[in-house]
Amino acid sequence: MTETDALIRLEKVEKTYPGSEIPAVAELDLEVLRGEILVLVGPSGCGKSTTLRLINRMIEPTKGRIYFEGEDVTDVDPDQLRRKIGYVIQQIGLFPHRTIAENIATVPGLVGWDRDRIASRVDELLEVIGMDPSVFRGRYPKELSGGQAQRVGVARALAADPDVLLMDEPFGAVDPIARDRLQNEFLRLQEELQKTIVFVTHDIDEAIKMGDRIAILQEQSVIAQHDTPEAILAGPASKFVEDFLGAGATLKGLNLLRVREVEVDDIPTVTAPTSREDVRRVLESSESDWVLYLDEKRVPTRWLDRRAVDGPEALHQGGKEVLVTVEPEDTLRDALEKMLHSTVGVGCCVDPHGAYLGVIKLETLMTLIADLQRVERDKQAAASA
Amino acid sequence: MTAPGAFVSADPTARRTVMEGLRARIELIVTPLFFLILVAAVGAVWVYGDFDSTASRIINWPTMQRRIIEHINVTFWSTVLVVSIAIPLGIFITRPNFKRFAPPILGLANAGQAAPAFGLLILFAGFFGTGTTTAILALLVVALLPVLRNTMVGLQQVDQAVIEAGRGMGLSKRQALTRIELPLAVPIILAGVRIALVINVGTAALVGLIGAGGIGEAIISALQLRRDTAAFIAAGIVAALALLIDFVAALAERYLRPKGI
Amino acid sequence: MEGISSFIDFVTSRTDAITEATLEHLSYVVSVFIVGTAIAVSIGILVRNRPFAREVALGIASVMLTIPSLGLFVMLIPVVGIGFWPPFIGLTIYSLLPIMRNTVAGLNSVDQAVLESARGMGLGGRQRLLKIELPMAWPVIITGVRISVLLISGIAAIATLVGGGGLGRFINTGLGRLGLPGSMESVWTGTLLIIVIALIIDSIFLVIRRATTSPGLR
Repeated sequence: MTETDALIRLEKVEKTYPGSEIPAVAELDLEVLRGEILVLVGPSGCGKSTTLRLINRMIEPTKGRIYFEGEDVTDVDPDQLRRKIGYVIQQIGLFPHRTIAENIATVPGLVGWDRDRIASRVDELLEVIGMDPSVFRGRYPKELSGGQAQRVGVARALAADPDVLLMDEPFGAVDPIARDRLQNEFLRLQEELQKTIVFVTHDIDEAIKMGDRIAILQEQSVIAQHDTPEAILAGPASKFVEDFLGAGATLKGLNLLRVREVEVDDIPTVTAPTSREDVRRVLESSESDWVLYLDEKRVPTRWLDRRAVDGPEALHQGGKEVLVTVEPEDTLRDALEKMLHSTVGVGCCVDPHGAYLGVIKLETLMTLIADLQRVERDKQAAASA
Repeated sequence: MTAPGAFVSADPTARRTVMEGLRARIELIVTPLFFLILVAAVGAVWVYGDFDSTASRIINWPTMQRRIIEHINVTFWSTVLVVSIAIPLGIFITRPNFKRFAPPILGLANAGQAAPAFGLLILFAGFFGTGTTTAILALLVVALLPVLRNTMVGLQQVDQAVIEAGRGMGLSKRQALTRIELPLAVPIILAGVRIALVINVGTAALVGLIGAGGIGEAIISALQLRRDTAAFIAAGIVAALALLIDFVAALAERYLRPKGI
Repeated sequence: MEGISSFIDFVTSRTDAITEATLEHLSYVVSVFIVGTAIAVSIGILVRNRPFAREVALGIASVMLTIPSLGLFVMLIPVVGIGFWPPFIGLTIYSLLPIMRNTVAGLNSVDQAVLESARGMGLGGRQRLLKIELPMAWPVIITGVRISVLLISGIAAIATLVGGGGLGRFINTGLGRLGLPGSMESVWTGTLLIIVIALIIDSIFLVIRRATTSPGLR
């Protein structure tokens, strides 16, 4: 048997619920390539969650075969299969009566790892998701915030080091800011881990941001288009896809570019500890009305102008608060949305620890949008010529 | 000797789910079913059994009839008393002005569950003498706390929002009580009556010990005279009576509810 | 206050008999607790996902509670004779409803998301029951057991009427001597001790519940 790139293959898989004439999932052929993030996206009720759950046989297919690493797993013991696949759901489902460590340790315990190996794996994963093991190991799920619980859910799914992760709207239950952060963290994680991931969402923007390839699903999980985000945006295969992408494909284009790919500007900064004299000097020697105040860890905290420097308040409390930060993994669309909340027309770009990297100016984005619109217009002109 | 109703929620504003409907329907089938089985068993033993003169003195039909009437009499009067005390008291204690008395009284009610009915009965006999009156009093005390608790808990569950709306429409406190709370309280009251009846039928089986007659007297006499068959029959009769009364009460609970609740 | 002193005299002069009766009483409570819990929890587990079976089981257990305890015990005599067995079987039957009902309610109240993620991780049916559902339903189940045991302790008072002993003995003796000296003391002894036992059992169960419930659930 030739080594294929497809880690998961659904062959003519169909699911019809008893008592229903119409299949929930109609004869589906789908391949998931090794190491890619495949996003299943579509309107409510199209069957994307059902399709996902056919892969780990939470729902049994009424027809068709499922192949995992080249082997037919349609009839094997589902429990054994699932222990090799990570599964993350929207409501997470952490076991409330078990500690975080015990939650994460579940599958390794099931497959027979020894105690030491499990313990060090738990600590390792907690570090990876940015939660101090000594603090969180013994905590209980009810003590966690929404974002923390979500992270633990992902860690739990990764515990036994599966090759595949299935994720069903995993970031849906948190607020948009937390969701952005989780998405960025997850993308960074994926760079390191190189897992194969099938990701379900109803949000086309999330799909474009997260996916290496996207499968847009219609009713009964019929595939409307299955390609890279760039290809889909450049050439929607049908009216359905166009409609689903929504008006303003240009703005969708902003989804494809990441902050790190765009020209990042520098503006005057001062780093604590510093004196008013220094700040005044920096302000005078630059053309900018504002200087960015960074704390000792180089985290941007305040925007200071002349008035703030001369004013009564301390430097770290004066001026305007830095409300908006963007990260390199953020799409330009994320950045634009965030910057609409800012009063200064500039977004601070920071690294995972929050330290200053540069700024994105609103003008940069506006120019980019104008360029993309021009390209779009030319394309349409060429199409109708 | 306890009421299943004590464990069933009497929340009148709870939506009648499919499950509750199913449960109510099954109870309405199981009870009469058991009743019929009992009647058949008891009847068969009575008709085909061998009874000597001692046994016949206990379980001949005229005597048994009298016992049954005594039993119903004691049950009925104590239920009337329990309901007329516990329910107004329960309503009273849940009024805003007296809410502070609710927790200690509820606590007392819960603690009172621990006292054995048998003990209470004999204590009463010791203090007030034997006879039917004492029996009725003792039954009253035994059944009082469960019914009181059921009434209080039930009323507390009556939707506060519904009352708010009523007061907001301009109903006076008294009008809110009579037009909103009481009708909503009817199911709770019916449940309380049923609880009282079932508890009392059970406790009344013991009043024969203090000279108040009842079917229990037949049971005890038969036991003391070692006429096991007669004892069995009398026991079967009291069980059948309890099931019958519970069934009727359940029907009343179901069909006397105000519509829409 | 001579009432109290005669009561104390009564009790102190009969410690052996009191101890024996208390042990008899407790033997009912403990044995019924063990057997009743085993049966009721097992049935609860079996019927939790089968609505019809569940309602029938709960319905029957519920109806049994309407039957007067003296009646039930006596009806068992032709089957098992007098003595320990009729009260034991009767009390076990009575103990079933609260436990069964709470077992079902507790198991069915487990968060669906938790069960879904457990299943998705490869935990099989039995493992989910033992590692997730039962532990999470445990506080509710234990409450049902507590209610049941309190119920049993009270009803066990009449075991003596069918030759089954227990603290009801003292109540019965007092009854037989009504009007004579020592009668009320005897009745008080039986009654108070039963109440005390009930209160102790209640506290024990509260402690057990606290100790055995996961901190994540409290």
